[in-house]
This record gives sequence, structure tokens and C-alpha cells, in this order.
Amino acid sequence: MLRRRKREEEDSEINITPMMDIVFIMLIFFIVTTSFIKETGIDPNRPEAETASRSELGNILIAISPNDQIWMNKNPIELQTVRILMEAAHAENPESSVVIVADELASTGIVIDIMDQIRLSGIAKVSISAQEK
Amino acid sequence: MRRRFKKKSDESEINITPMLDIVFIMLIFFIVTTSFVKEISIDVNRPTKSPIKEQKKSDVISVRISAEGEVFVQDRLVNLDAVRANIETNLALKPQASVVVVSDRDADAGFLVKVIDQSRLAGASNVSLAAQK
Repeated sequence: MLRRRKREEEDSEINITPMMDIVFIMLIFFIVTTSFIKETGIDPNRPEAETASRSELGNILIAISPNDQIWMNKNPIELQTVRILMEAAHAENPESSVVIVADELASTGIVIDIMDQIRLSGIAKVSISAQEK
Repeated sequence: MRRRFKKKSDESEINITPMLDIVFIMLIFFIVTTSFVKEISIDVNRPTKSPIKEQKKSDVISVRISAEGEVFVQDRLVNLDAVRANIETNLALKPQASVVVVSDRDADAGFLVKVIDQSRLAGASNVSLAAQK
């Protein structure tokens, strides 16, 4: 009697195998696409550019505020520490590239200083953030 | 016969419920942390200081930006709107030349990006950035 009931229940059970397949595929998709972009902490006014393109590997962001302050990982940092932070990020992911998010009103001197520091840290690909016109 | 066999294998089945829980939690974690934000940016080269890679002066179109926001293409004062046409003319004369933007340290980053954008629109494939000493 008991056995028979159990068997009946089993027959009416929902087959979860297709759901599992989908869940696994979604899981793999999200693991692969996650890039863990670290927010800089400020949102500068990006300059407009027509030739700007979407950078695929730009996952290190460094921002410059209008008064030439450097921001990274939600903290204001000094120019001297840029190189150390970049070296650490480069060691973590050797394929990474840097995007400098400079405010329109930031001075070019600080942008060039940061680019030099990034080059010294061994990262070859540097670009300047812009917004589409 | 078949039924009995099925029942037996059901009893010896591995319980996948905890694995499902973990997979779901991972899925939710990755969905939440994924940021599809991609910075739009323009690529800039920073010329190396090593003398080996130093280019001949004849292969370079120099674009100078003064602190006051004036643009000089090959030492000739031009309007920002005329930068593109000027670089196009220079590129027609020297197709292999690369554009070097020499910017004053006090110039705005927004203006610099506009000039780089204009030179890229003019067809310069290789735009590098240098600071004025």
C-alpha cells in the first residue's frame, strides 16, 4: 500500500533536469561576463568625442576630478600611489587596461602624469574616457 | 521488472537539493555583481622617452595646445574647427606621419580630448600625447 503510493508520487514529480541545465548555463554565462569593474567614487563630466569607442577590456578605472584630485576605488589617492595600485591591478589581471576618466576641466598635466605612472607600472593600454556626441 | 529497477535506482540517487541551493546562490551572486558598464573611451599613446623609438621630426605632425586653449598645427595658430582640415592636409603630404599632441600642463583635459578627437577624425591612426616642459 505504502509502496504503491510512493511510486505514484514519483511518477507525477516535475522533471527538473531542463531547469538545471538552464540554471547552469546562466551561471556559466554570468561567471564569464563578470568583470568586477571597480567604481572610482566620483562621476566626472566626461568630454565629448566622435571617435570614441567601447573598450572591451577596460576594467581599471581612475578618475580625475575638476580640481585635479585623483580617485580610485572610491578613495582619493595621491599621484605617488597610482603606480603601486596599478602594479597590484596588473598582477591580478595581466590583460587589463586602464581608462582614465578625466573631467573636462581637469588639467592635462595631471592626465599625462597619471599616464606616465601607468606606463611605469607595465600596463601598455591606456585610454581616456569620453562620451558620445 | 522495469518498474522495480526504476524504484531501486531512485533510492540510491544522490540528493541534489543542496547543490541546487548552492548553484542558485552563486547565480544570484553573479547576477547582482555583474556590471555591464563599459567605459566609452579614446585610445591615446604616450611616446616613450627612449631615444631608439624617437621618430624623425619629418614624420610627425605636431599639434600644440597652449594653456589659453589655442591650437597650433605645425606651429601655425588655427581654430579648433580647422584642426581637422589642417591635419588632413598635412597627412596628405606625409601619409606615414603620426600626430603628436603636445599639451600645456594647464590646458583643460576636455579641450585635449576634443583636439585628439579631431585629429582622429582627420584620419590619423596613431595619436600620441606629450607634455610641454
